[in-house]
Amino acid sequence: MEIRIKDLTKTYGAYTAVDVKELSVPSGESFGLVGNNGAGKTTLFRSILDLIEPETGSIQIGDFITKSAENWKDFTGSYLDENFIVGHLLPEEYFDFVASLHGMSQSDLELKLAEFETLFNGEIAGGKKLIRDLSKGNQKKVGIAAALLFDPAVLILDEPFANLDPSTQIRLKDLLKKLKEDKGVTLLISSHDLQHVTEVCERIVLLEKGQIINDIRTSPATLKDLEDYFAGVGKKEAEPIEK
Amino acid sequence: MIGMFVVLGVFLDDLLIKIPIDGIDYNTSKESFVLRKLNRFLLYYFFVDLIMRYFIQKLPALSVQPFLHLPIRKSKLIHYMLGKSFFSPMNLLHGLVFIPFMLELFSNLSVTESIGWSAGFVFMVYLNNFLLTYLKRTSDVDYKVYLSMLFGLVTIVTLDWCDLVDFQEVSATFFNAFFLQPITALVPLLIGLGFYLLNYKYLRANLYMNRLSKSKKSEITYVGAGVLSRFGVVGRLTELEFKFIWRNKRPRSVLLITILFLGYGLLVFPTDEYSGNYLMDILFSVIITGMFMLNYGQYLLGWEGMHFDHILTRKVSFKDYYMSKFMLFTIVSGAAMILSIPYAYFGWEILLVLFSVFLFNIGVGSHCTMFFGSLNPKKIDLSQGTVFNWQGVGAAQFLLIIPVMGLPLGLFGIGVIFGSPHLGVAIVGIAGLIGLIGTKLWISLLAKWLTAQRYKISSDFRSQ
Repeated sequence: MEIRIKDLTKTYGAYTAVDVKELSVPSGESFGLVGNNGAGKTTLFRSILDLIEPETGSIQIGDFITKSAENWKDFTGSYLDENFIVGHLLPEEYFDFVASLHGMSQSDLELKLAEFETLFNGEIAGGKKLIRDLSKGNQKKVGIAAALLFDPAVLILDEPFANLDPSTQIRLKDLLKKLKEDKGVTLLISSHDLQHVTEVCERIVLLEKGQIINDIRTSPATLKDLEDYFAGVGKKEAEPIEK
Repeated sequence: MIGMFVVLGVFLDDLLIKIPIDGIDYNTSKESFVLRKLNRFLLYYFFVDLIMRYFIQKLPALSVQPFLHLPIRKSKLIHYMLGKSFFSPMNLLHGLVFIPFMLELFSNLSVTESIGWSAGFVFMVYLNNFLLTYLKRTSDVDYKVYLSMLFGLVTIVTLDWCDLVDFQEVSATFFNAFFLQPITALVPLLIGLGFYLLNYKYLRANLYMNRLSKSKKSEITYVGAGVLSRFGVVGRLTELEFKFIWRNKRPRSVLLITILFLGYGLLVFPTDEYSGNYLMDILFSVIITGMFMLNYGQYLLGWEGMHFDHILTRKVSFKDYYMSKFMLFTIVSGAAMILSIPYAYFGWEILLVLFSVFLFNIGVGSHCTMFFGSLNPKKIDLSQGTVFNWQGVGAAQFLLIIPVMGLPLGLFGIGVIFGSPHLGVAIVGIAGLIGLIGTKLWISLLAKWLTAQRYKISSDFRSQ
C-alpha cells in the first residue's frame, strides 16, 4: 500500500512544524525518519494518521485520502504513544477488542499472539496488571503488538526502540525485517537510534525544522554519514550529506 | 456541595436550638447555650471525621519523590510533606461549616472565650489529621481497620443511647473546657504536636521510595467478552466503558452515588407535603433515572482523554462510538427504572411519572448529554482523587442542566397550563418517545459534529 504526501504544511503560529513538498513511500518499502527533537517527525506521522489537521496538502494511504475516508484504518496499524492504548484494560482484553474490530476469531487471535511470545518475553500474556500499570517498555510492547495484530499492510511506529530492553530491541528488529520480506508491509518508523534505523530501513529521510533535507537509500556508509551529520548539527551551519 | 456546607454552617445555631436536651442550664445566654449543646456532639463529630479520613484522605507521599535526589535536607522535605497536609480538603472542609458558625459566635461571646473554643476546635482538626496520617503510614490500609472503627462508633452510640455511658457528657466536659478555661485548648495542640513528631520520626527512618508508596496494585482478573458483544462493535465499546467505570475510582463513585440516589424517592414520595405535587415528582424522577447519565455523561469525552488517539486511529466509527454511549445510558437508566418500580407502593401515578420521565431521559436527555459532554471536553486525569476534583468542569457542564432538568419541567408546565397535570406528564413522555424514535438521526448528527471537531479535541487532549 503506497503512501503519498503532497504540499503538506503544518504550522503552529509562526512556527512551521512540517513543510513537505512531496513524499511518497511505495508499497512494501521500509522507510525510516530521522531528525532531532522538534524536527517534525511525530507531527508528520500524526498528519498521516489524520490526528492533526494540516494547513495545506493532502495525504493518501493506498487509494484513500486519510482526511475524508476511513477505510484506511482497516489496514493501517500504528503506535505513536500511550494515547494509542487503553489504560484501564488488561493487555489481553485490549487485544480482544482490537481483534474484534477487525473481525478476527478467537483462534486467529491466539495464533497471532503466539507469534509475539518471544517479543513479550513472558511479561505481557496472562498478567494481572492493567496496561496503565505496566512499565513504559511493556506498554510499548502492547501498543506495537496491537498495531501488528491484524496483519496490517501499512505499519507506522514512532520511536519503536526507545524504552525497550536490548533483547526486545533485537527481536523487534528481526520481526520488522521479516514483516517486510514475508508480507510486503509498508513500514514507516522514526527513530533516534541511528544504528537500528539504518539496519531495518532501506530508505532514510532526514528531517530538519520540518523539511526534508536528505533522502537516502541505505548503504553501508549511511550510518557513518548520519553520525557525522548529527555530530555537526548546531556547531556550524550543518551541511547536507552528499549521497 | 460546598454551598450546602456553608448553608449548614450559617443555620447550625438555629438547628441546635430546636434539639431538645435535658440537663442543660437554659439560663445561660443563647450563644453559650448553643455552644454547650454543640459540644455534646463534637466527640462524635471528630470520631466520624477520623473514620471519613481513613477512607478518603490521601497521604501526600509521592510529592517529594522528585526531590529525593536533590541536595535538600531530608528533615526539610519531611516538614514540607507534613506541612502540605495542613491544606488537605479534609481539613479545610471543617472551616466551611464552622467559620460561619464561629463568626456568629464571636459577636456574642467574650474574646478570650471565642478564641479559646475556636483554637481548641482547630487544634482538634489537626490532631485528627496527624493521628490519621500516622495511623495510615504505619499500618496498611485495610478494610478490617475501617470496619472495626465503624463498629467502635456504633458501640459508643448504642451505649450512649441506652444511657449506660454518657459520652455526650464526656464530650461536653471536654469541649466546654475550651471556652470556660481557654488555656485547655493547648491540650489538643500538644497532643497534635506529639503526633506530628511521631509522623516525623517515622518518615525520617523511612524516607525511601518503596516505603512511601504503599499502594499495592491489586490483581485484576481477565473479563472476556460478555453478553453485550452480541451487539457488535457498539456492544464491545459499551463493555469497555463498563470496565472503565468499574476500574477507576472517580467514575465508580459516580455509579455508587447513582445507586444511593435510587433511595431518594423514599424521602419525597411518601411525605404529605409533596403528595400530588407532580412538579416535585418529575424533578425527583429526573434525578432517580437520570443521575448517572447527567453525572457521568457530562464528561463524556473527557473520560477518554487519555486514549483518544486510540479511538481516532482504530476502526471505530463515530456513529458506533456515540451509539455505545447511548446504550450505556439506556442500560443504567433502565436498571434504575426497574429498581424503582417498588415506588408504585406510594401510588400508581408515581410509577407513571417515573416512566414518562425515564422515556424523556433516554429519548431527549441522553442526546443532549452526549452533545454537551462533547463540547470543549477537558481531559480527566484518573490518577487524581475524587474529593473536590473540579477537573473537567466547564461551562458546558452547567448548561447541561437546562435541557436535562429544565426541559421536562417546562414541558410539564405547558401541559398544566393547557389542561391538567396528567397532560403535562403525558407530554413529557411523548417528547421522550419522539426523541427515542429519532435516535439514529441524532446520533448521526453527533457523529458528523465530532468528525468536524476531531482535530481540535484530540490536540487539546494531547496538550492538556
